[in-house]
Amino acid sequence: MPELLEVNHLSVSFFTGGGEVQAVRDVSFSLGAGEVLAVVGESGCGKSVLCRSIMGLLPRTARIKSGSILAAGRDITACGERELCRLRGSLFSMVFQDPMTSLNPVMSVGAQIAEAVRARQPGLSRSALRGRVAELMELVGIDRPEERMDLCPAGFSGGMRQRSVMAIALAGNPRILFADEPTTALDVTIQAQILDLLREIQGKLGTAAVFVTHDLGVVARVADRVAVMYAGRIVETGTAEEIFYDPRHPYTWGLLQALPALNRGRDSLRAIPGMPPTLIDPPRGDAFACRNAFALAIDYEQAPPMFRVTDTHYAATWLLDERAPRITPPVGGGLDG
Amino acid sequence: MAEEILLEVQDLTHLFPLTKRAVVRAVDGVSFQVRRGEIFGLVGESGSGKSTVARCVMNLYRPRGGRILYKGIDVCDPAAFRANRRMLQRTRQMIFQDSGSSLNQRMRVWEIIAEPLRIQRIAPPRGSLREEAAFQMHYVGLDAGYLDRYPPELSGGQRQRVAIARALAMEPELLVADEPIASLDVSIQAQIVNLFKHLQQEHGFSFLFIAHDLAMVEFLCDRVGVMYRGRLVEAGPAAEVFAHPGHPYTRALLSSIPIPDPRRERARRPEIFSGEALGGRLAETGPGHYVLREEG
Repeated sequence: MPELLEVNHLSVSFFTGGGEVQAVRDVSFSLGAGEVLAVVGESGCGKSVLCRSIMGLLPRTARIKSGSILAAGRDITACGERELCRLRGSLFSMVFQDPMTSLNPVMSVGAQIAEAVRARQPGLSRSALRGRVAELMELVGIDRPEERMDLCPAGFSGGMRQRSVMAIALAGNPRILFADEPTTALDVTIQAQILDLLREIQGKLGTAAVFVTHDLGVVARVADRVAVMYAGRIVETGTAEEIFYDPRHPYTWGLLQALPALNRGRDSLRAIPGMPPTLIDPPRGDAFACRNAFALAIDYEQAPPMFRVTDTHYAATWLLDERAPRITPPVGGGLDG
Repeated sequence: MAEEILLEVQDLTHLFPLTKRAVVRAVDGVSFQVRRGEIFGLVGESGSGKSTVARCVMNLYRPRGGRILYKGIDVCDPAAFRANRRMLQRTRQMIFQDSGSSLNQRMRVWEIIAEPLRIQRIAPPRGSLREEAAFQMHYVGLDAGYLDRYPPELSGGQRQRVAIARALAMEPELLVADEPIASLDVSIQAQIVNLFKHLQQEHGFSFLFIAHDLAMVEFLCDRVGVMYRGRLVEAGPAAEVFAHPGHPYTRALLSSIPIPDPRRERARRPEIFSGEALGGRLAETGPGHYVLREEG
């Protein structure tokens, strides 16, 4: 089966006054129909830029330097704005982090959803349009849609706003849904509900999803596969089980070790020392080397290639080279390990 | 741990007018104590009144009812406040949630960190104000190269550290931190939380730590209070509250903590709490552990 989305050797740079910021460097991944991929990493490691470059939503200072993005078999890096507009909403759509900034505060929620529906089905009659809006609101779990569609976002709670944003994103029956930190602005009590809803919808409609998040608890709940990004590169990718129970990259170890849940009974959290590098002039070799307690001499010289662990699990670290010393991972095996 | 009570909040109530007649009871009869040298965590969902409590404690809001005693001084009483103004302003510091709006964009980083010293006319212990700022920055893990930058040039994590350095410059006895790590990455959060632990253990700082990340609160805090719709529904030693939550809302809140383990996380079914009216009063269920119970 051909993959729904295939990104090959994508590099994206921002051209700023300070120089060229290499936000995404040589990233490749694929997404099958109905699959959920989580992209995790610290802020500034290129997660959001990756999503935006696929959606064609990059600002003017940014440019795709090389690589291709194949969506449903066609290369969309070559598409013009008009064509991309047609694809957005139908092929892919996006849910942003903060529902308050992505909704228009002075327009009723129903009208905002209707706007998205009309963009796809222009000839819809008034009553059919209302019916479709109510149907979408019900799909995302908003009770009594008929009464609520005339309210403005201010009358909605945070969770309901994010549900409305999802209704807008789903209006065109997209085949891929990008969600950029969709639950970060929400309370923990709402978070699980929204995540379960996304999974449920995704199962019902067969939508594939790319989840951008820095919360590993969220990843554990929704993801089939995980891609860990650091300094613009994917450093490890695998199924959720592989990443949580058998992580191979020292950066993945660091992310997992920093979690309070894995530090019960300890006096301090095991933080990753230092800060991510600036991407204006990325360091030679492995960008993570200077924060990595397991760094080898070669890490400072040459960037590691992707080593195969299993057919689905790859990691870019020299520790997987056959000449490297054997190191027992400090984490892995989940909470019971 | 010393048993001296540094901060005592008694029956604190604060209202916000909604319209001419309707009011929101943002904080409703909240009482708790922070002992010297301890980290007291205040948790609850957004809108539960956590931040309002913090702002009342820092004299940013004048509460409608109740008393706030800091070292035995009622800070809400204007006369008492005036009489002890210098001490109150020097020994209490606050870290705000959004470092983007709590730092002056037109001041350089070192000026921001040294400003409290300048305002309080405290001679910098390390020579110049600039050196003092560099020392504090090093302390929170920032490079001295950022001294002459402006806040918008920094990332969220770096800005939050500047805000923390500014609060630490005064070497306060009570640090009120309103969601200080919510906007940071996991790895940076761990660095900041370790710093807070260090400050408490080595320098005896007391914290009122407000957060919605329960896993962090469990790790960091000695005692916690759980707030729901303006009321304190449960308070007690952190280990006790997390192990044996007494109030249904606390149970719902604890069951919503995501677990970084796919098999366990997918098996987790969060409890939903739909209690509307909260009545009753706090009853002691264990040593120092209080739970809101219906009367009768």
